[in-house]
Amino acid sequence: MSNDSIFKTFLVAFLLCVVCSILVCLAAIVRIDKEAYNKQLEIRKTVLAAGGYQQQIDDGGNIDELFTSNMELKLVDLSAGDFTTAVDAATYDQKEAVDKPELSEAIPADLDLAGIGTRAKYAAVYLDKSGSVILPIRGAGMWGPMYGYIAIAEDGTTIKGFTFYQHAETPGLGAEVDNPNWKKQWPNKQVFNSSGKLALKVVKKGKYNPKAGDAINTIDGIAGSTVTGNKVHGIIRYWFGEHGYAPFLAKLKAERG
Amino acid sequence: MAKAKDALLDPLFNNNPIALQILGICSALAVTNKMSTALTMTVAVVLVTACSNAAISAIRNHIPNSIRIIVQMTIIATLVIIIDQMLKAYLYEMSKALSVYVGLIITNCIVMGRAEAYAMKNPVGLSLLDGIGNGLGYGIVLLAVGFVRELFGSGKLFGVTILNTVNDGGWYVTNGLMLLAPSAFFLIGFIIWGLRTWKPELQE
Repeated sequence: MSNDSIFKTFLVAFLLCVVCSILVCLAAIVRIDKEAYNKQLEIRKTVLAAGGYQQQIDDGGNIDELFTSNMELKLVDLSAGDFTTAVDAATYDQKEAVDKPELSEAIPADLDLAGIGTRAKYAAVYLDKSGSVILPIRGAGMWGPMYGYIAIAEDGTTIKGFTFYQHAETPGLGAEVDNPNWKKQWPNKQVFNSSGKLALKVVKKGKYNPKAGDAINTIDGIAGSTVTGNKVHGIIRYWFGEHGYAPFLAKLKAERG
Repeated sequence: MAKAKDALLDPLFNNNPIALQILGICSALAVTNKMSTALTMTVAVVLVTACSNAAISAIRNHIPNSIRIIVQMTIIATLVIIIDQMLKAYLYEMSKALSVYVGLIITNCIVMGRAEAYAMKNPVGLSLLDGIGNGLGYGIVLLAVGFVRELFGSGKLFGVTILNTVNDGGWYVTNGLMLLAPSAFFLIGFIIWGLRTWKPELQE
């Protein structure tokens, strides 16, 4: 049979398609199984790192074990500042909720310091056994969105830890947000000042004065990454503002602090 | 035997896909700021060019001429998807670092070019060697560029600190240009210059 007959052309095309689609399906089945677990593991690692368990992770601690024995998932209604059970926490996906009108709300342009447009109504926060809460934050970075967690002690203002798990900052410059040396200045900083006003800020590298009165509220930026520093500043200013976690942290402080 | 050796070794220097044929530059700029991403990309491209060359060569006598490009494309795309999915399953961190560039191997001219120019005319064994050779030729340049960029841009190799950087309290002030894509252009330029000085017969 000639290779270029119409029948042979269709036959080859059909067989090729069948074989290739079977192979692709098999690969996808393997991937779907593993990827869900990989994503969960990544979130757990980040939550633990923000919550102050980095040492245990570095020492080879089992992440799933550390996580399940220390962390409890809760949903927070952001505008009310209360815990909520309006939706099931176990199946709630905050990233997907942002795209669903019934689960999200638009951020007024003048408040949108993180550059995200809309936010989910409910935040999936983690309660650590020590009493601190680990809050998800996100915002626009220099090249793409940044996702991370920040842990706040039960006084509602002292930072316990901070880390991003997804960003697209420039390697070596903005991506230094992952540098442990930079992250270690976050613990023990105060989000709010003594009169309860939002005071936490990220300043340009070199403008940080450890002797200044507001040093306890100030994070030194990263050399060569002024834009990333400004973006991180915007993200924390939004998420600890009235439209973010401020109502929740105020209630947390009143109840426990 | 000599032919097999040529098929495997020629693409490394004498007919290097990046330095001589100037193919695959796009990903060579994008994934070379770290050795680990460059190495993973190298392995992925070697696998794809080798398997696609072998598969296309195996059915070359049955491919109707009128649809040969789309047949090659389908085989290459299938291989790339499988590798992309496997990376996502087993090397999750790495798949995030390589992001879209694994998928873009489909459009990497080296793979398609070798399928059309070599695998369609040569037996399976030789085509396989040609695929491995061209993948490695691409990989050598990637690794060379990645070596310089990671060492001088981050003071590290494979994530291990070699030059202690100022950001970590050391002495080495990192070269920011090395971390940005344009530096790969300069480095590839130097490699082409060096290669053509070493082997003057390559000059056009």
